[in-house]
Amino acid sequence: MARLRVLFESGAPEQIVEFDPAKAPFQHDGKPDSVLDVLLGHGVHLEHACGGNCACTTCHVIVKSGEQHLSEAEENELDLLDKAPGLTPTSRLGCQAVIEDDCEISVLIPRFTINAA
Amino acid sequence: MTYEARIEQIIERAPDTRSLFLHRPPSPPFTFIPGQFISCLLPLDGEPAIRPYSIASSPEEPGLLEICLNLVPGGLGSRYLFGLGIGAVLRFTGPWGTFTLERPPAAECVFIAEGTGIVPIRSMLRRALQTGSTYPLRLHHAAASAACLLYANEFKRAAREHAQFTFAPLLGGSLAGCIRREYLARDTDRSRHFYICGVGSIVLELRDLLRRGGYQRRAVQYEKW
Repeated sequence: MARLRVLFESGAPEQIVEFDPAKAPFQHDGKPDSVLDVLLGHGVHLEHACGGNCACTTCHVIVKSGEQHLSEAEENELDLLDKAPGLTPTSRLGCQAVIEDDCEISVLIPRFTINAA
Repeated sequence: MTYEARIEQIIERAPDTRSLFLHRPPSPPFTFIPGQFISCLLPLDGEPAIRPYSIASSPEEPGLLEICLNLVPGGLGSRYLFGLGIGAVLRFTGPWGTFTLERPPAAECVFIAEGTGIVPIRSMLRRALQTGSTYPLRLHHAAASAACLLYANEFKRAAREHAQFTFAPLLGGSLAGCIRREYLARDTDRSRHFYICGVGSIVLELRDLLRRGGYQRRAVQYEKW
């Protein structure tokens, strides 16, 4: 089992999702076992205007811990993150960051998603 | 912000490819940058599903917002939209996306579209042609057949009216081979800007070809669906 802890910059209470990575995909959008896939599949909302196709930055998350357990970002994800508001060194796109192990990861969902991202 | 818009007009653009013209929400006004998409909320399997569609029209066109899509085999979203008629109402959010052209081109621009990847590029080209920029603008559109060259008559007319614009359709040949020949082998100029859009790995193949061939990373913009 893996644990995904979700913090919200908006101040909403944190949520913890426990899941079995072998059971992915949990729904249809984003890469299987991605942060987006796990959250949507367990009832936690994360914006994904492009449907999880790595064509926008609305699923931007900031990894607070456990980033070594995520897949390495590919060039198209990095190109898009360049344009994300509030970019940080541990920013990822939720639809692309695949949780690779049984592990614990914490992500922060930023407060703002600008309407042009 | 979720908008609701009525389908005002439907035009068949090619086999299994059609444009839906939506009443452009006036209040609050729906504005966008050429190249952006809307995110449609479709009632599939009883739950709202998100399907993005690029905007084909220009921000300057009043009244209607055009999306253009093809019927994807097995695709629930396109099948649903193809089942809608005039008067049906679509819910969507947006605009979204950073694959855009807003300002007058500041260099020669090469637009490369594969299939329905032409949709956002059509909007970008309209803006580029309206700006009065005199830099060369070139469009390569690869399609399976002449019937699938969306907006071809419009591009041919634009090429007649704008001396700096060249329309180069490609039917059946190698898009990568064409781009390599035209923009890597022919000269050492690496000042051009590229806008690439299409479905699948060809987009990333072209991106890598151009970046590894000496073009600056940010000079090669792309959107892969």
